[in-house]
Amino acid sequence: MKRWLSSGFCVLLLGLALYPLAGTGYGIRFMLQLFMWIALAQSWNLISGLTGYVSFGHIVFFGMGAYTAAILIAKLGWPWLLASLAGGVGAIVLATVIGWPCLRLKGPYFAISMLGLNEVLRVAVSYFEGLTGGGSGLSLPSLYASVAIYYSMGIVALAVTALAYVVVTSRFGLRLMTIREDEIAAEAMGIDTFRYKLYAFLLSAVGPGIVGGLAARDQSYIEPVSVFPLIMTITMIVMVLFGGKGTIWGPVLGAVLLFTLQEMIWSRFIYVHQLLFGAIIVIVVLFMPRGILGVLQQKYNLPRTI
Amino acid sequence: MLGQVVISGLLAGALYAMVALGLGLIFGVMRVLNVSHGPLLMLGAYTTFWLFQWLGLNPYLSLLVTMPLLFLVGMALQRLFVRRVVDAPELSSLLLTFGVSIAIVNLAQLAFTADLRSVEYLTGSFVWGPFAFSKSRVIACAFAIVITTAAFLFLRKTRLGKAVRAVSQSREVAQVCGIDVGRIHMLAFGIGSALAAAGGSLVAVMVAIQPEMGQVYTFKSFLVIVLGGAGNYPGALLGGLLLGLIEQLSSLFLTTQVNEAVAYVLLVLVLLVRPTGLLKGRA
Repeated sequence: MKRWLSSGFCVLLLGLALYPLAGTGYGIRFMLQLFMWIALAQSWNLISGLTGYVSFGHIVFFGMGAYTAAILIAKLGWPWLLASLAGGVGAIVLATVIGWPCLRLKGPYFAISMLGLNEVLRVAVSYFEGLTGGGSGLSLPSLYASVAIYYSMGIVALAVTALAYVVVTSRFGLRLMTIREDEIAAEAMGIDTFRYKLYAFLLSAVGPGIVGGLAARDQSYIEPVSVFPLIMTITMIVMVLFGGKGTIWGPVLGAVLLFTLQEMIWSRFIYVHQLLFGAIIVIVVLFMPRGILGVLQQKYNLPRTI
Repeated sequence: MLGQVVISGLLAGALYAMVALGLGLIFGVMRVLNVSHGPLLMLGAYTTFWLFQWLGLNPYLSLLVTMPLLFLVGMALQRLFVRRVVDAPELSSLLLTFGVSIAIVNLAQLAFTADLRSVEYLTGSFVWGPFAFSKSRVIACAFAIVITTAAFLFLRKTRLGKAVRAVSQSREVAQVCGIDVGRIHMLAFGIGSALAAAGGSLVAVMVAIQPEMGQVYTFKSFLVIVLGGAGNYPGALLGGLLLGLIEQLSSLFLTTQVNEAVAYVLLVLVLLVRPTGLLKGRA
């Protein structure tokens, strides 16, 4: 079983690597965005799925990465790949500043702080017009690099998933899950909970930061409203919950299913999008808290690493 | 100038205190942070708007409708959804109320459209010596004080109120004493939502009404609770007044655009320096 799965996975990766040779423009864009969502969902899972600390503003790291990269590209002429990596660094810096005060305390403080942070950064970006272009946004010199961005996004998605695998199967991951199940017990067992929560938070910020930089390059134009949207955080959360929080492949499964559905069907029902997402969150939390993958794992007695 | 700012701050603060007391009550009794508190406030504001639009009902009289109505909505939310996650890890209740919150906002967009609405009532200001205060704010403050006082008298003096406080101190002991904890939870959620609704009705006269107006109140109410000390009900009053004052003072020196950022920096500072709040609460 395991050999079949891993060889299937290799074939899939090979197919994805060769896809730009044959794919249409639309197909490449579709896959590029799917990779982006996998990276985002997987990152949210690292902090919220594993430690149980809900981040209601995770897209703030995406926005931070987007602005860091866009400013470096537009004002300093950095190459976009390097600028996107710098976006990841920017996201880590922001995560340190916010995680330091907020992760010392229990869940609700962190959750609401993240909800507020997103709004504040959006206001701040509009306010410092000299650097960010304010509300009218920031344009990047045009560049046709869809295929290069496709590979970059794909590598980030793969890297974040590999990171999730390493974390979940390590002692570090066990500590995080202990914090989720019972933080006081974790502390009593000698786990420095604050330190590990902060590590998990920093790891969860890198991916969105880099992806934000790549997305900024891909769209060539960013503005405060387009890179700090609450709906993107909601989408990440729904993907992870639906697929199975705290698992390695749950976020990937959730991202693939939901993003495909969204592209095929839901884009026609844009007005009830949030209602639908809200309903999914409520239903999953109440009736299927382990998500699709969790249910499958339990039913077929699969190992935790699947 | 300073006097004007201080009094404006206290006027706004009384309203914050009332709305935050609602959130704090639910948090204190159930350990559930109701992320949909702000959207419930928005529903209160819309109820007032439509009653004014259709029936010409005085916005302040509409409190008699919005508060009982949202009391029922709150009880229903507790009964249908929140009850099932009270004992689950915080993750569940946060996500659940978040899901409810975005669903409510989307429903409001569908039902009421995203147009900005306003209740054209009681414009103009009271002028008193060198000061001038908009009438709607002064009256909102007066109502907030009356409603908050009533809520406190209920919690302090009545048997039911004492039962609510007992549950928030220790659920097990309260249960042993024969208090129906499930009923108290419903009651607390109902009262909390009614306080949010009162806030909505009162701000309906002052600001533009739109489906996304509520979220910022979830954040500010939470900030007020943190300032005052979580689970400490008088602390919510102090926190509310303080937030009102600080916002007004900051608007003296900065543009009003960064108001929200000031509140945020304040939250982070309090969490760093004194996470239990000014009056001691439970962190």
